[in-house]
Amino acid sequence: MIDLKILHLYPDLLNLYGDRGNIACLVKRLEWRGMSAKTEKYTCDDTKPFDLSDVDIVFIGGGSDREQKIVCHRLLEHKKQLKEYVEDGGALIAVCGGYQLLGKYYKLEDETIEGLDILDIYTEQGKKRLIGNVVLESDMIGGKIVGFENHGGRTHIGSHTPLGRVVYGFGNDDKSGYEGVAYKNVVATYLHGPLLPKNPRLCDYVLTRAIKRRHPDFSGLEPIDDALEITANEYIVNRFKP
Amino acid sequence: MRKLLAVWAGKMLTAAGRLAGKKSSSSPGEYAMRLYPDLAKELKKCVKKGVIVTCGTNGKTTTNNLMCSALEAKGYRVLCNRLGANMLNGIVTAMIQEMNIFGRLSVDYACLEIDEAYTPIVFDYIKPDVMIITNLFRDQLDRYGEIDITSDIIKRAVAKIGGLKLVLNGDDPLCVQFGREKGVIPYYYGISEKVLPQCDDTKEGRFCPVCGAEQVYNYYHYSQLGDYYCPSCGFRRPHIDFDVKNVKLSPLMEFTINGKQMKVNYKGFYNIYNLIAVYGALDVMGEGTDDFAGLLKAYKPQIGRMQEFSFNKPVILSLSKNPAGFNQAIATVNTDERKKDVIVAINDKANDGRDVSWLWDVDFDKIKNDRLNMLVTTGIRVWDISLRFKYEDIDVDLITSSMREAVKACLKTDSEVCYVLVNYTALYSTEAVLNSLLKNGGGNDD
Repeated sequence: MIDLKILHLYPDLLNLYGDRGNIACLVKRLEWRGMSAKTEKYTCDDTKPFDLSDVDIVFIGGGSDREQKIVCHRLLEHKKQLKEYVEDGGALIAVCGGYQLLGKYYKLEDETIEGLDILDIYTEQGKKRLIGNVVLESDMIGGKIVGFENHGGRTHIGSHTPLGRVVYGFGNDDKSGYEGVAYKNVVATYLHGPLLPKNPRLCDYVLTRAIKRRHPDFSGLEPIDDALEITANEYIVNRFKP
Repeated sequence: MRKLLAVWAGKMLTAAGRLAGKKSSSSPGEYAMRLYPDLAKELKKCVKKGVIVTCGTNGKTTTNNLMCSALEAKGYRVLCNRLGANMLNGIVTAMIQEMNIFGRLSVDYACLEIDEAYTPIVFDYIKPDVMIITNLFRDQLDRYGEIDITSDIIKRAVAKIGGLKLVLNGDDPLCVQFGREKGVIPYYYGISEKVLPQCDDTKEGRFCPVCGAEQVYNYYHYSQLGDYYCPSCGFRRPHIDFDVKNVKLSPLMEFTINGKQMKVNYKGFYNIYNLIAVYGALDVMGEGTDDFAGLLKAYKPQIGRMQEFSFNKPVILSLSKNPAGFNQAIATVNTDERKKDVIVAINDKANDGRDVSWLWDVDFDKIKNDRLNMLVTTGIRVWDISLRFKYEDIDVDLITSSMREAVKACLKTDSEVCYVLVNYTALYSTEAVLNSLLKNGGGNDD
């Protein structure tokens, strides 16, 4: 019986807009297949040891600039464990502020927030916030990823592989035409809030990678009825055709 | 002369709009200000007793209109941007509509609802005497950025007015922070007892606005409203000047304000806040509050505030714009013990906020109970809201792009009541559908 452990990092600070939709999606899509997952939160007040050895998926959400500053101090205490976890193939989903924190730094107008240096990327604050619906073409999942972005930072991903090519929207920096980063089993993106429910293939991709890390002979997730998810995804794709 | 031209142009545009069947609530003011930019500055001269402005994420239209209605019941002449057009152009439109053809206006009070983001601009033109701030919730992030940004904007506005009397929701730490600004005179209202079941909904504002530490709550009302204190810096719920206790929510809402018994014909716990905000502002302006319940009788709720339509069963229309509002609407639906159908309509036009991520911050799971009969989803983002229910393992009985079909389906069931929960731009179209169905004899038009 497959039972995953999902660790939601600092949901008390980073929970801008519906991140819990992503957690719900990971859990439900396992449960609907007769598997299960338990979700644990690691909050600012937690004094328990930071232990990732039995964790299968780490989730880091988005927050306001103020909240991000608080979080980065806490996260940096666990930099080594998080880096080792990622290098060992641990699955990690980072959204928005969480995405920025995975990089080397986030340069704001008057200060620079140090990042975890897990990805070789950096972010600089831009003038205008980049806000709107997004459609990506993603080779990784072989299809379209849809979502909504709202960020002031411009992220430069260097030689990293992006999560997808921007079909509609701004993406990482409003220039490169790319969005997010896919590195090992890390999915990092500006597509905030409920990214996974409307992108069931992306959700299943992460779940599959996480399960295979624990059970190398796992043959893959069985298909489930995704008619509603696919309709919701295609509605966005068609509505925001360039 | 330019001023007169501006007023006439505004009046003509309003009349033209009316002929075209439109409620022109902001464009006449917009145009008039182009002719005479300082028109709004004239307002202060036209008001004898005071300008009362209302801001905050939820409840500002209701609070402002209640305020106006209470003052009118006292026999005052009041200027009010009743239609909820709450930017500078909406306020100027309301002014022009009340002015005579010589551009003169004389009222006792002005009650103005103002969009938080526009307070600094509006305050350059109009100096308020009293400002009510109802609450700050996460709302339409794609328009405003973040709550922190909204707070800073309001602080900037408040700093422009010396000696401003603030009537603040003392249960909301994010409101109370404005009472600490320089030069303001704060008054606080609040509900000083545990009323609702304590739940773990989204408390985005639970961090101390002063030092950023997580606050501790003795009890919650909803979202970050409650009795809180900061263990780190000592910031806490202030002394409450207008204090509600002894709350009963059904069958009629009852409570006491500073020991005075109130019985009101309103639904929804959140309406207590709207009522005490008005009570507080009246008191602060030196107006008597002895017959407060009597003053409220003339008030007609705006459309979509638990507005009842009488079909073969009551159909109740409720507008919510954000998670805090939706959670309160769902809580109100659940206090109704009747067997019910629920329609949820979600749009994503500019006035709704283009981003519908907030749907995942609403506790939609609470809609499911043994009194729920049929659940229907509709609106532009019908697929998003349907997915939201799917991931709570709640079956949606009907997914439709047509509100008309949704209502007709519910009228055919054996439920005793139907609730229609909509966000902003779905409101007027839904009201039109309900009125048209009423005309056609309750939807049996097929």
